[in-house]
This record gives sequence, C-alpha cells and structure tokens, in this order.
Amino acid sequence: MTDEMDTNTPEDSGLDRFQDTMDEFLAAADVRVVYGEPIEHDETMIIPTAEVLCGLGFGVGRGGATSSEHGQEKPSQGSGSGGGGGGRILSRPVAVVIVNSEGVRVEPVVDITKIALAGLTALGFMVGMMFRMSSRRHALPSVNE
Amino acid sequence: MDAIQSEIHTGDPVQVGDYEIIPQTRVLKIQFPGNHAVLIWNRPKAVIVKTSDGQESTLAVRDITRVIIWSMLAGGLLGAMLIRLMHRN
Repeated sequence: MTDEMDTNTPEDSGLDRFQDTMDEFLAAADVRVVYGEPIEHDETMIIPTAEVLCGLGFGVGRGGATSSEHGQEKPSQGSGSGGGGGGRILSRPVAVVIVNSEGVRVEPVVDITKIALAGLTALGFMVGMMFRMSSRRHALPSVNE
Repeated sequence: MDAIQSEIHTGDPVQVGDYEIIPQTRVLKIQFPGNHAVLIWNRPKAVIVKTSDGQESTLAVRDITRVIIWSMLAGGLLGAMLIRLMHRN
C-alpha cells in the first residue's frame, strides 16, 4: 500500500488544464491548419487554403476571509478559488492551389458577402457625413433673425 | 518569449505528379501579460513549387477579399473627409 497524496490544489489542477488547453490552442499556428488536405479530381489536384484567427483568454483567482463574530471562541476561516475562460476561432477561405498538367497556379477566393458589407459600410460613412453637413447648414440662424 | 511574434512556417512538401509543393504560412502570435491570453493569426503566405528538373518558383498567396475590403473602407473614410472639406469651403 502506498500513501500517495495529491498535493495539487484545485486551483493548480485548473491551471494545468488551462495550460494544456493553451498548448493545444498554440497548435493553431501549424501549417496544416492553413493548408487543407489535397483534393484530387481527374488529373487536377486542389489544395484549399484558409486564414485562421483565434483568441483565448482565461483567469483564475482565490481569496480567503476570517470571521470575527462576537461570542465565538475561535474565529472561523474560509477560502475559495475559481476561474474562467473563453476563446474563439475564426476561419476564412483565402485561395486554392490548383495543380494540373499545365502547371501550378493560385486562384483567390473572393467573399462577395464580406465585400458587399464593407461597401455598404463605406457608403454609410459618406452618406452619414453628407447628412451631418447638410443638417448643420440648415441649422444656422439667418442674418435677419 | 516576446509578447508579439511574427514567424514564417514551412510545411511538409506535397508531391503532385512532377511537382513538389512546399506550403508556407505567416503566423502572428500575440501573448498578453501573464500568459493568460493569446491571439494567433495564421494565414497562407506562399507555395514553393519545385519541378523534377530542379526549377524552383514561389507563388504568393494573395488575400484579394481583404485587399478589397480595406480599400473600400479607406475609400469610404477618405470620401467622408472630402465631403466634409467640400462643405466647409
């Protein structure tokens, strides 16, 4: 019989788990995440590529307190710890590498939805500025008044 | 370890017919103080193509969508500033 004791506090094990998660997360920097598995079709090989953006954060904390109520011979003590975290991974296709008998070429992937949204935002900037300018001009008091 | 790191990673070569393709990525890693938060931006940079006769060429992977989006936003901002300047005059 062995008398092994787990000396890790819950906070330490939590930190270890977060560290493991962080290590797994850092694997997102690998080349294989960006370049997908080659897809073969007839005599053409297609390799999809994507950009990957990921963020992760966590925090842990602990605290303790001692009660000093009247009538108690010995003050009672308490402590606690907790932690939390969150992360997000975003991926977007960028281009495809096409390999065939004619050679190797890179074809970009154009995301029409994102471009349309950016166009509307840009238009919104300009229209908003025009409205702001015209409303200021109308708000000016006339000389007669 | 630096808080902001920019690295170029090279992947394993892929043999397709007479061509050997070596993928490259550009990785931007931002680690916030205390190692409790990290941001990774991994994007394709280029593919190096080697032919069986020893020729080597590099094909850049361009993100056309991002270029168009930033151009449009910059254009919108510039347009808004121009409208403001024109109304002032």
